[in-house]
Amino acid sequence: MPSARKENRKYNPLRLLVQFLAFLVILVNPFLNYYWHFDFVQGWYQSLGVGKLWFVSPLEGLESILVSKTIYLPLLVGMLIPVLVALFLGRVFCGWICPINFLCELEDRILRFLGLKKRKDLLLLPKRLLWFSLIGDITLAMILGAPLFVFLSPPGLVGREIMMAVYFHTLALEGLVVVAVLLLNLFTRRFFCRYFCPLGGLLAFLGLRRRLKVVREKEACTSCGLCQRACPLGLSPERGESEGPYCWNCGACVDSCRFRALDYRWVTGLGGQSDTPPRGE
Amino acid sequence: MSLRSVSEGGQTRRSFIKFLATAFLVFRTGVARARPLLASPVKVNRLRPPGAVPEEIFPAKCIRCGRCAEICPYRSIKILDVRYGVFAGTPLINVEEIPCYLCMKCVEVCPTGTLRPISQEETRMGLAVINRRRCITWLGVALCRTCYNVCPFKEKAIHLDQLRPVVDERFCTGCGLCTHGCPVNPKAINIEPIYAFRKKRK
Repeated sequence: MPSARKENRKYNPLRLLVQFLAFLVILVNPFLNYYWHFDFVQGWYQSLGVGKLWFVSPLEGLESILVSKTIYLPLLVGMLIPVLVALFLGRVFCGWICPINFLCELEDRILRFLGLKKRKDLLLLPKRLLWFSLIGDITLAMILGAPLFVFLSPPGLVGREIMMAVYFHTLALEGLVVVAVLLLNLFTRRFFCRYFCPLGGLLAFLGLRRRLKVVREKEACTSCGLCQRACPLGLSPERGESEGPYCWNCGACVDSCRFRALDYRWVTGLGGQSDTPPRGE
Repeated sequence: MSLRSVSEGGQTRRSFIKFLATAFLVFRTGVARARPLLASPVKVNRLRPPGAVPEEIFPAKCIRCGRCAEICPYRSIKILDVRYGVFAGTPLINVEEIPCYLCMKCVEVCPTGTLRPISQEETRMGLAVINRRRCITWLGVALCRTCYNVCPFKEKAIHLDQLRPVVDERFCTGCGLCTHGCPVNPKAINIEPIYAFRKKRK
């Protein structure tokens, strides 16, 4: 049994490496920019510039367009790649790149190291809340006339705080939001990501018809519930929730499965080939 | 019985009026507190980076990515913090501290077009205005021409009229080098952000 498990475990280290490198980008970049004026890579996960290539976070771009009611073509071009990634791969930004998720995973690992391994999600809310926070955020931004989330978005804030620390040798007050998000992670894993992150909501919305899904093989599955315990979002892949809208394709469940019942699959066509229909809630 | 109820009624009325008064006070202080949250931080010598769209849509367009501040080689561009309300996270240049040297790097990286990609000459961050009652040259106290010397568009934006500096509206970019250089305290030449609040003309 242990050998089979070892053999199966493959995505977690890879994901941690990708997350670490993605975090390294926003950690090292301000130093490169500040001390050596090396600005080939510039910005963080609100807007990232690699040479002449731009990435703009889809929610930030969408809010800018909706609130200012103007369309700026370079902005749309910058949003293109992230939107395409979300359309085909789903919320992979959340699972594999987002610095908040990386910090949360580090937090989880430290807790496990300290022996606080058994951890239940203490506070659970309906998963639908994610859509409401997306709609609420956009509506509020349009009423206020200023994009709201762009300033207080934890994924962007991490980058901005690092830049502030390097450039102005100070931390901005809004960084407390990041601290709050990490503290909430103590009560419920990825509490903010699950219910309140409008960016996650938008990416989930874009990824409703995604191609990359974690699919369960009915014959191999023994309904042991290990995958549900492994899922940082509290989803239950054995009930097909990994194919639903909320899954962020992190692959933790794939690694947790001892019977190789779960794996990534490139689902072509509508509905896919899975036997379990995707469930909303 | 009836007396008691009357006195109770009087008390509730009094407490209700008290409640209204406190609510009004709280509301007023709240509004007074909220005003800077909605008022633009752009004022004399506090300017947006080059190419900025008018202030009325600036907070709407800017996605607070901070790339302009990150690329600014002179650290002229600062990012406003949460105390500036809806303007939090937007870039601002305090020309008295560090003026804009018009390297035009920020306009190239802005992903939203909030800073439009324009040239040095087209930049209109504001207009330098000389206070002739403070300028020591205009007062005849001394022969200072620091603003003229530091102006990147010397002879165009600032020229000398009988050795006294004069700003030409047609060429002044509002970069603030003159304000930064002005030795008089308080400054005798200041940048008025007149273009930031001007309605679009077509």
